[in-house]
Amino acid sequence: MELGLEAVGRVFDDVLNGRMSRERADRWAYAVVREEETGVVKYSPPRERERIWAGVMYLYGIDAMKGPNAYLHSGDDIRRAMIACVGGVGDPTTIENLPAIERPPQYLSADSAPL
Amino acid sequence: MTVGDIRSRIDAASPDVRCHPDATARPSSFTDVVPPRPISSIGPDQRLSSERLRQIDRAFFGPFFREKYGTAGDKGLENSRIRYYGPIHPANNAGELAGRRYVHEFNTMTGSTRGWHETLDRMGNVRQVRPERHDGIVRHYQFDSDGRYRGSW
Repeated sequence: MELGLEAVGRVFDDVLNGRMSRERADRWAYAVVREEETGVVKYSPPRERERIWAGVMYLYGIDAMKGPNAYLHSGDDIRRAMIACVGGVGDPTTIENLPAIERPPQYLSADSAPL
Repeated sequence: MTVGDIRSRIDAASPDVRCHPDATARPSSFTDVVPPRPISSIGPDQRLSSERLRQIDRAFFGPFFREKYGTAGDKGLENSRIRYYGPIHPANNAGELAGRRYVHEFNTMTGSTRGWHETLDRMGNVRQVRPERHDGIVRHYQFDSDGRYRGSW
């Protein structure tokens, strides 16, 4: 499995744009963590390994809740984390779509929260 | 029920991820960087002290787990386990909750690992625990600021 900053940035983007649910992003990151345990993850480029891993570990648990119907992290939290982890590889338009991701998917319209 | 009770129950539900000996393909695997160090042996019935666990961790497992899961610190427990703490990911709009972190625990006796996400308040108390379960069920266990169990969802 080969993993680069762009792929991680794309998941952040998809979450921020409402194209991917936080639950799915969490499971994507969990799959990477499991792969890493077996030693088959290849980081591309290798010098970015730390940043890539930091991004994965942020996405792992990104669907944490502060209460039964509310996510712990705001869209702003996620955007800041994306910038800190993967820098400018994300889509700059994502900030415009933040309100779409503040609530769990069952409270969103079907077209804004694909599961 | 306390935070510790929840953590102890995670054993039954968590994936048993073992330390694979074929991890040498990893650029920073512990086999690449750990020089052999003399560590005196102990009897099978002797309990490892937390200090001794840290000693073992530094020599054998530290680079393997700490790099990945323990960038914010680690702790040797009395029950032969080492706990690795990830950075706290801040939540800026969550009231008294400050953020979350991932905790990875390694059992030095069995080689098994388990993990969970913790949500902490601004005083550093663990207020929620979300175990990683192999059955895919996501459950948040909530505690008050004194560590007493308040419920789950």
